Amino acid sequence: MNSETGFDPELLNRFPTSEERPKGEVEELNRIWAAPSGWARLTVVNNNYIGIFYTGTAFLFFLLAGALALVMRTQLALPLNGILPQETYNQFFTMHGTMMMFLFAVPMMEAIGILLLPQMLAARDLPFPRLSAYAFWAYFVGGLSFFASLFFGLAPNGGWFMYPPLTSITYSPGINADFWLLGIGFIEISAIAGAIEILVGVLKTRAPGMTLARMPIFAWAMLVFAGMIIIAFPAVILGTLLLEFERALNWPFFDAARGGDPLLWQHLFWFFGHPEVYIIFLPAAGLLSMMVSTFARTELVGYHLIVLAILATAFISFGVWAHHMFTTGMPDLSISFFSAASMAVSVPAGIQVFAWIATFATGRPRYNTPTLFLLGALITFVMGGLTGVMVALVPFDWQVHDSHFIVAHLHYVLIGGAVFPMFAAFYYWMGMTSSRALSERLGTWVFWLMFAGMHITFLPMHLTGLMGMPRRVYTYLPESDWMATNLISTIGAFTLGAGILLFLVDLARNFRFTVEDDAGNVYGGGTLEWLPTGLYSTRSIPVVRSRSPLWDDPNICEDVEKGRYLLPNAPTGHRETIITSPLRAEPQYLQIMPGPSPWPLLAALFTAGFFVLLTIQAYTPAVISGVLTIPCVLRWLWETDRPVAVRTADVGAGIRLPTYVTGPSTHGWWATIILLIVVFMIFLMTVFSWFFLYGIHPRLWSAPDNLLSLVPVLGGYGAAAGLLFLGRHLLARTKSTHWSPATQILLAAIALVAAFGIDLWSWRESALDPELSAQAALTFAFLSQQGLLVAITAIMALYLALRNARAMITRPRNTTFDVVFLFMLYTAGQGSVTAVLTRLAPAGFPA
Amino acid sequence: MPVADASRGKRAIERVGCASCHTIPGIGWPKGEAGPPLHGMAERALIAGRLANRPGILARFVRDAPALVPGTTMPAMPLSEEESRDVAAFLYESGK
Amino acid sequence: MLDGWPPPILDPAGPDAWAIATLAWVLLAMAALVLGVVLAAMWLALSGRPELRARLGGTKAIWIGGVAFPVVVLSLLLVYGLSLTRTQSAPLRGDEMRARVTGEMWWWRVAYLDQQRRPVLHDANELHIPVGRPVVLELESGDVIHSFWVPRLAGKLDMIPGRRNIIRIQADQPGVFGGQCAEYCGGPHALMGFVVVAHPQQRFDQLMRSRLARAAAASATPQAAQGARLFQSSGCAACHRIAGTPANGLAGPDLTFVGSRRTLGAGILPNNRGTMMGWIANSQAIKPENRMPPYTLLPGEDISALAEYLEAQR
Repeated sequence: MNSETGFDPELLNRFPTSEERPKGEVEELNRIWAAPSGWARLTVVNNNYIGIFYTGTAFLFFLLAGALALVMRTQLALPLNGILPQETYNQFFTMHGTMMMFLFAVPMMEAIGILLLPQMLAARDLPFPRLSAYAFWAYFVGGLSFFASLFFGLAPNGGWFMYPPLTSITYSPGINADFWLLGIGFIEISAIAGAIEILVGVLKTRAPGMTLARMPIFAWAMLVFAGMIIIAFPAVILGTLLLEFERALNWPFFDAARGGDPLLWQHLFWFFGHPEVYIIFLPAAGLLSMMVSTFARTELVGYHLIVLAILATAFISFGVWAHHMFTTGMPDLSISFFSAASMAVSVPAGIQVFAWIATFATGRPRYNTPTLFLLGALITFVMGGLTGVMVALVPFDWQVHDSHFIVAHLHYVLIGGAVFPMFAAFYYWMGMTSSRALSERLGTWVFWLMFAGMHITFLPMHLTGLMGMPRRVYTYLPESDWMATNLISTIGAFTLGAGILLFLVDLARNFRFTVEDDAGNVYGGGTLEWLPTGLYSTRSIPVVRSRSPLWDDPNICEDVEKGRYLLPNAPTGHRETIITSPLRAEPQYLQIMPGPSPWPLLAALFTAGFFVLLTIQAYTPAVISGVLTIPCVLRWLWETDRPVAVRTADVGAGIRLPTYVTGPSTHGWWATIILLIVVFMIFLMTVFSWFFLYGIHPRLWSAPDNLLSLVPVLGGYGAAAGLLFLGRHLLARTKSTHWSPATQILLAAIALVAAFGIDLWSWRESALDPELSAQAALTFAFLSQQGLLVAITAIMALYLALRNARAMITRPRNTTFDVVFLFMLYTAGQGSVTAVLTRLAPAGFPA
Repeated sequence: MPVADASRGKRAIERVGCASCHTIPGIGWPKGEAGPPLHGMAERALIAGRLANRPGILARFVRDAPALVPGTTMPAMPLSEEESRDVAAFLYESGK
Repeated sequence: MLDGWPPPILDPAGPDAWAIATLAWVLLAMAALVLGVVLAAMWLALSGRPELRARLGGTKAIWIGGVAFPVVVLSLLLVYGLSLTRTQSAPLRGDEMRARVTGEMWWWRVAYLDQQRRPVLHDANELHIPVGRPVVLELESGDVIHSFWVPRLAGKLDMIPGRRNIIRIQADQPGVFGGQCAEYCGGPHALMGFVVVAHPQQRFDQLMRSRLARAAAASATPQAAQGARLFQSSGCAACHRIAGTPANGLAGPDLTFVGSRRTLGAGILPNNRGTMMGWIANSQAIKPENRMPPYTLLPGEDISALAEYLEAQR
């Protein structure tokens, strides 16, 4: 009754244990978790290192994008200023927005998550360390190449939301736009990899006893954050894919003359783009909640309300995207809906703000640099929220939309809702990764310079907007009266810049990276990340009995350090962590984790190479680089999913956990399902595009002439599904031959290839030409997705066969087999829906 | 007679658009290329290659060039007498 | 007083803009009030008297401050906002004066329409309207997305390829109202201005009559005959139209009334002989990337003659 998994929760009451641990366990842990040194340090996968690399890189992009802003502010300081020519300015503001959103804000939140979450959850590491490494390196290389495009005058210049037709090949013939589409498309992949890692990490690697209701708020925020990425990013991935197809292959998705519609892009972009704002804000709000509790020296007031507010924000944020499109001439009814939803989303924000206020009122507040930053964040964010409510009112938005009022509004929201919380977090958590804390004295200066600078820059900018100055203009005429406020804004921007410069000085003087002898719990936080740690994270994994274990159990640090909790050693001799159940965090099994490896790094380099070479139109090297990615990924995976000789291991107090588990409780199964949700969302967005364009131009659509080919296509996909189930059945039967399950999988892959081949062939034979109509273009967009899935399944099937040949497929079940099975079954399903929808939909519609 | 004021001259230049033909130091945009650039006006010996470079003459020239140099492509500009003195002052100051 | 006060959005010259300005003041007041409440709550929470702090420190405060308070404020605003949205997009009577404004990279094509909605008069970068009467504008795009915005008269509305958006504007006083493209459209988006000129009804009718007559008549400016010849021979006519002459190009702005325009280069330069010459000789130096090539090889006398000819087109 009281158990989710059948694990008896009473067993956890045996902890902390009292007997002495045998000598040498800590040395053993240190040996197992040691990071390679020298150049091999690049192959580390441990979250302590990847997290700090990731955070550092995101911060670097923040500085670079900020430097661009300072140059732009200099240009705008005076009317008709000549610092930046028009074309350079257009590239600068595009890069500033794009980098702040895609290379700084989202990656920074993921980075902080990767750095903090394992410690907060008392896991040894996140469940897919090599995936983290891949996500980081892909982002690092991709982001730097993207930024480098500025030095060649090839940086994108279409604005960070890249509206077609301005970004179509007709009006942007250079490769600048391709840098955006391929560069950002690539970084989205990295973001999704990170989100999968975080989702599975939060759900499956929490310390025993840390039920959902005992999770730190930051973990809640990251859970919702990652979930939102999974739902929202596919829309922009599809958008970038379609726009790149339109540019490269002349498929008219956004060309009104051939049945496309420029507004399709806006819907796809903002379906991602608005949730994106909350994707950035929620983790920052989570950080604020954690810090408010510490600095008020009391439990957070309204924990449940905050969790509800986080969930409500996520839910509502998917219903507000069209408020970026109030001036496109949408019908009144939809305008009213989006207006109401946009206002409603401020209620959960209000809940969080008042929860923080109530917490301060309850506790005994302390004043220091992080407190200043979080109070500054609160005030700034509230002001941004209020102007947000203003622009949610449609008639007011008609006036200020795309003016400097909006520029001011969005900077209030993002600086108050993400940048100030981030700086607060830097000061607060610095003690976890540095042997010295940052300076309080300098920190106060940093805060006041940044806070004053921010408001001097952006408060007058509201007025500039009300005076009629549009955004994204590289200059303005003297008779416009916009000079005074612009000059003030520029002075403010440099003040803000001075604050950040001072922060860099503070970092240079005091930041000394360390994993082991860190400065520790300088501010007296109550959550698990402040347990004493080494490379292996905590010596033993505590049983969690409250939300602030360090406050509620004064002995917990010593008990953990002395190994009186779970997993005080390494029973299998490998890196390992405890996988727990998603709701009540009951121990399920011991996950064997992969160690350092050069393969994720190489895979990231080749993936980045593929995208960068594709952008500069070096097609042959691009293909070579892309193909080289595959063996690297497979090689990195090869060492994962490996049963060890020890079938069960004692994790302390006589509790034994299995070391190899299959099926729906495994971390691999969860990750696969989440990945399939991403794939499905991309597909769903394509279906949306299909019906959207049909709704705009129904007369341009025609019934296809290849109905009959549906039979063999569906037959092929059906056969593949049947073979998959047969293969799984045979794997469970010990009497089947060694080769038969893998053979079924190979046959299923052949059936998938055949079904897809027939589908593709029938469309190539049909009268529909993808260059002539949006209907045909979308049909081929569906087929392209299916083709990619089929190609991946073919590689998976071969990989599985190879593992089978090496007798690495366990019976009766095997995780690699399950992953391949799920992916192929999904592919057969999506292929069938694709085949039916593309053939039947237009004819089945009312004329 | 009020003293010529370079900052008023700059405003007058922006109002009538001198820079649409001339690149003028101190004026960021436009940087017109139809007429000669006006750098170093203070050091030049001649205006338009034939008039003595004196403030009064420059002021008259910017206001009504065809009256001083018949056949010049520089047109008369809609400037008041006072403004033209301001413009001349600005050109001397910015073109030092 | 600060230059530019009151800002155009708060200084409306027409009924729709006026309603939005009122809304803006209400919203600013709301924002100030709420910010005041939050700041007061913060101050109390941090350094208020113990009994006040105790009252703030509980979930009840969250329910009141974070839920009840915003819900009430937002509901009132929503009702106000939605009713205003409705009146602003009230159905058209059908007999309003109509014009079509088409966004082009980086200027505005203007066509005045008759009661049958056929274009009768072509112009560019300037729209003349009568005072006190609603004018319906059909907004279209010739290339990429632009946005039509004259802040003192109404909010903005996008011009989207493949669509026609309808906006109603009205000026209640005579005057010249500036506007600028509000949707980033590449290159010199910053230099894509526009003016609306509102005339008293009688003056407006006079203007339209004379313009219709001018559009119907053959050009008669003998003193500029040299310019007229150059306009054909130098290639100007390939892109520009002047009614009543052989010049019939449609790619660039219609120049039939260019001499009377208040601005050149789409709202960015004053219109005089000098700026006209500078624009013709090398508009790329003024508005980089615009679609008109530079004519640097044309001798000065020719440019002068062309400018004289164009000045006479009114």
